[in-house]
Amino acid sequence: MLTRIEVAADRVRDRCVLRTGDLSPRRLPAPDGTVRVALVAAGALLLAGDDVRIEVVAQGRLRLDIVETAGTVAYAMRGGSARWDVDVTLTGGAELSWHGEPFVVAEGADVQRSTALTLDDGCRALIRESLVLGRYGEAGGRLRTRTRSTLGADELLAEDLDLSPGHRSGWAILGGARCLDSLTALGHRLPDAPQTLQLEGTGSIARRLVTEQHTSDLGDLWTDLQHSSTTSWSARRHESERDATCCAKVAE
Amino acid sequence: MATTELVLMTLADARLPTGGHTQSAGLEAAVRARLGAKGNKLQEVVQYARDRLRTVTRVEAGIAVVARQLASGGQEIGPVEAAWAARVPSQALRAASRRQGRAYSRLATRVWPRVTDFLPSDTEIARPVVVGVVAAVTGLSAEQTARLVGYDDAQTVVAASLKLLPVDPAEAAGWLTALHPDIEDLVADVFGLTRPGDVPAYGAPLVDVFAQQHSIERMRLFHA
Repeated sequence: MLTRIEVAADRVRDRCVLRTGDLSPRRLPAPDGTVRVALVAAGALLLAGDDVRIEVVAQGRLRLDIVETAGTVAYAMRGGSARWDVDVTLTGGAELSWHGEPFVVAEGADVQRSTALTLDDGCRALIRESLVLGRYGEAGGRLRTRTRSTLGADELLAEDLDLSPGHRSGWAILGGARCLDSLTALGHRLPDAPQTLQLEGTGSIARRLVTEQHTSDLGDLWTDLQHSSTTSWSARRHESERDATCCAKVAE
Repeated sequence: MATTELVLMTLADARLPTGGHTQSAGLEAAVRARLGAKGNKLQEVVQYARDRLRTVTRVEAGIAVVARQLASGGQEIGPVEAAWAARVPSQALRAASRRQGRAYSRLATRVWPRVTDFLPSDTEIARPVVVGVVAAVTGLSAEQTARLVGYDDAQTVVAASLKLLPVDPAEAAGWLTALHPDIEDLVADVFGLTRPGDVPAYGAPLVDVFAQQHSIERMRLFHA
């Protein structure tokens, strides 16, 4: 079922249209120029046959913060499977920050996750994704992911991961790790660090392969980035408002 | 044309001066992280090569096949290089591939001058793109191109293991033979590709992690 978040910058008041599907988006208070939305499960998730679709559209000079109130567990599916598809479109300088909580694939679950991110030049996204294989003491089920991102006319990132039980434990894939924690920046870069992947186009991935999700330090990196990006975001927004005022005066 | 067999042998021969002996396909960094458990789990080398054939090497083979297709049709190879770059998130791996691509294309320019129709001279271009262009001008088929990339990667891992772990060379040769079905699976999967956007994008997160670590390592036997 389709869950949709659509926001658009407006001179008087930013617009925000929310549609509940398997998840229910709820608007939270936020400073001017930012629309903050919490994603709350609208029912039991994630079970065999579930087809979760989340569409996010942000237009214009605003910042959309998506937060999740709880992690998600994909339960045993007894031969069935489930999908979790996310489709993000950012235009006109929009910025997205989405802090995903742990996505836990329990023993016997079979999940295909697909993420498509389409960004206009000048847009930015920062996304945390924590994939966890198994609850405590479990080996975990089957998980395949597909990520495609474009920035302007260019393909920015294409990555498919097959994290099925027979395929993931080798020294090329996850080794002994049970959690693949990623912080992905698109349309801007994360600060250089030895383990930060700098994409060919403007984007970066900081990734941690850990045995327990809470031992990853990406939460700290997220906090640091949020702090610095909030400051630079308000500077950028004010700059664009000044530009808009100048244009309006010229037009008069 | 029977001589394509000889071209294929030449390209797959480690004695061809393309710098293949400087590569371990990431095995050195993995061994440093205890792949093979200091000689107690040598089979992990085979599994490592197999995982690569299913993921990053499949991408590389797909890129070579599409580069061959574009060059054969007289088209620009820029889009396939861009598709490759979007599929290789690690800057260390992209740099290593482009360094190898430059060496490979330098040699190819001398041996098969027609490659200069597609490859600007002395430029860093992804190795699989160069391989695809060489395949196009020497008349290799798409299957041969994919097989060459798959074989080369598996042989790189296995040959490097002889220098990094206490491996019996005859056993290593057996490993390579055991990987033949995996190489043929790869060939079957990618030989029909014709468009850059259709190339698979299978990632291997630990390969990226090791490549990043290896690129800043001071003491190393292999380049990558």
